[in-house]
Amino acid sequence: MNASVPASLLSRRSLLRAAGLAGAAAILPLTGCGAGASASKQDGVTTLRFMQNKPEVVDYFNQVIKDFEALNPDIKVIQDFNEGNFVPGLVRNDPPDVVTRGFAQATADFVKKGIFADLAGLPAASTINPEMQELISSWGQYNGTETSALPFSVAAAGVIYNRDIFDANGVAVPTTWDEFVAACETFKAAGIAPIYGTYKDPWTLAQGMFDYVAGGSLDVAEFFTNLTAAGAGISTAAPESFTNNFGPALPKMLQLASYAQNGAASKNYADGNAAFAKGQAAIYLQGPWALSQLVAANPAIRLGTFPLPVTNNPDDTKARVNVDMALSITRNTPNMAAAQRFVSYLLEPDVVNTYNEKNAAFSPLKEAPAVTNPQISGLNDSIKDARYFQGAVTYFPPSVPVNNYIQSFVYGKNGDQFLSALDDEWRRVAERTAV
Amino acid sequence: MTSPTLTRTAPAATKATARRNRRSSREGFKVNWWLTALMLVASLTVLLPLYFTVAMALKSPDQIGTGTGLAWPSPMNWENFAAAYVATNFPRAFMSTAFVTVLSVLGSLACSSLVAYAIARNWNHRFFRGSFVYLLSAMFIPFPVIILPLIKQTALLGLDNPAGVVFLHVLGGISFNALLYIAFVRSIPVELEESARMDGATTWQVFRKIIFPLLAPMNATVGIFAFLGSWNDFLLPQMMIADPALQTLPVVQMLFQGEFNTNYSLAFASYLMAMAPTLVVYILAQRWVLSGVMRGAVK
Repeated sequence: MNASVPASLLSRRSLLRAAGLAGAAAILPLTGCGAGASASKQDGVTTLRFMQNKPEVVDYFNQVIKDFEALNPDIKVIQDFNEGNFVPGLVRNDPPDVVTRGFAQATADFVKKGIFADLAGLPAASTINPEMQELISSWGQYNGTETSALPFSVAAAGVIYNRDIFDANGVAVPTTWDEFVAACETFKAAGIAPIYGTYKDPWTLAQGMFDYVAGGSLDVAEFFTNLTAAGAGISTAAPESFTNNFGPALPKMLQLASYAQNGAASKNYADGNAAFAKGQAAIYLQGPWALSQLVAANPAIRLGTFPLPVTNNPDDTKARVNVDMALSITRNTPNMAAAQRFVSYLLEPDVVNTYNEKNAAFSPLKEAPAVTNPQISGLNDSIKDARYFQGAVTYFPPSVPVNNYIQSFVYGKNGDQFLSALDDEWRRVAERTAV
Repeated sequence: MTSPTLTRTAPAATKATARRNRRSSREGFKVNWWLTALMLVASLTVLLPLYFTVAMALKSPDQIGTGTGLAWPSPMNWENFAAAYVATNFPRAFMSTAFVTVLSVLGSLACSSLVAYAIARNWNHRFFRGSFVYLLSAMFIPFPVIILPLIKQTALLGLDNPAGVVFLHVLGGISFNALLYIAFVRSIPVELEESARMDGATTWQVFRKIIFPLLAPMNATVGIFAFLGSWNDFLLPQMMIADPALQTLPVVQMLFQGEFNTNYSLAFASYLMAMAPTLVVYILAQRWVLSGVMRGAVK
């Protein structure tokens, strides 16, 4: 053992020396980079920082940025997909110049605090479909009038179905609730699981059966406007309450749940994608984000989407939408002119339509062509006629664990308890946040 | 404080070795099969996830969803590594992470041992006892509580870059590392230092020539903690480093995880590449920890 001591000392010393050298080598290039990046203007070139919220489309935006820089040699754009750095950027008073965010409650909070600049004056703003702009402004506008974000990509969710299974069983796309139930019965009789449930991930229940059934049965936006107006005064008996509005939707949820495969409670989203890709069920209550995963697992699968009919009037059928990416410019950016040019470029029909076509989403432009992708073209009519809603769960503040309540309702089937719990939770949050 | 425990455990240890010697002296080296089996099962907790990582890194997207996941992919998809290398801009992210980690480890070793030496040798001063409690109390503050003020502060100081992450790693580690060091410094006889002082050594020389080398086993422990802590750290670099070009590996690897989409094969290929240095350091440092434990036991 004595002999090994000097050896280990020696190797430790040499390792430390090597580590020191590596450290010194690391410092040199890094300090070089740091000095270059921190200066936003160099040799007349403005450097814009562009933070986008979808890591999976980094490559597309790299190409867009390259094209933009070729047309605008005086602007350099740096892409950042680390969305977790947005709030720290605000704290540092050095936020990115241009951001895209999924638009719902959290982003609406930033809007209400005046973080983003008014984009109403941009020529591109007038090319946006007003119905889609409404999806953003319905969350509240800064100073009551400002346009803080422009939609870039709208994801529309409905019922994903396996075309081969539908064809093999002679089932057509249902347009009414009764047809939908009949389709499920047909699959059940044929020994095929009608719906693939992934209840282990409560969000799949929330965005799937809860949002679809709620959105098809009542006017979600109006309901939450009234609910918010009632504030802390909400009670189970109040006309604005969950109990008095969501009641009729619940039996339909339970009926949907009864068509799920056995053991849905122990499957999560990834399990569901793998199983549905293998054709283990006919219907999957998921949004377009699942499509790429399904195709990756089984390139030969033929998929389609239709909006879930919740009533027996086909005109009532609506799709669930969310603004997947909304473009904003931060109010205090020192590079406002360059940022506006970049945003205008992103909203050129070529750029925005190509993006949405590639990513199974809908373009927010007025003049957008109808979607040809067979996976989502079943939602074309709903989008064209503006028959859509934003999911009910997206209206809940993060402090209400609504997904878990939905999960426990699907397991326990106690509707009264579920709705009165939502009423109580809503009141509690309203009491706390009332000023 | 440590000496009574030492004397208490020493007889038990010698009795155990004596028993083992008696048994093994008759028929040479004897294997304890029950213990070996237990260790084999325990080692699965490390080997199984490692196997999944390697297998997953070699799968093509359509191989991921099939089977139990235990099957070895065939054919193996080596392109995942190349794709992950390009997508993460691996060399740059690697250098940034290495920069943060190397400096954090060196900084933690230097700062924490100095703090510990000062406190342990001045225990009779109320100021040093108080500062010990002050440092320890930092361990009761959860990091997420202070992260936003910290970001504000570091931005004002121009530290919203890897250097700031290094600074906070060193600073944040002091309380726990000093706790480890202080217990160890106390077990070093003061007489050693006194004899050095008789020969004319200054306080710095005493620390550098006598105390720091004797701290070797604890240096290894602290070094390992500091290495793992900063190599794998996600939250601090994610929120602190403003320039995406200087971002560290764990943050860059988020690229493979969308909100609803995870590119598992690329992600695992990239994790494996990021893990390689940790594995190497683990294997190297493991030896020092063990030898350090032995050295302590003999004394």
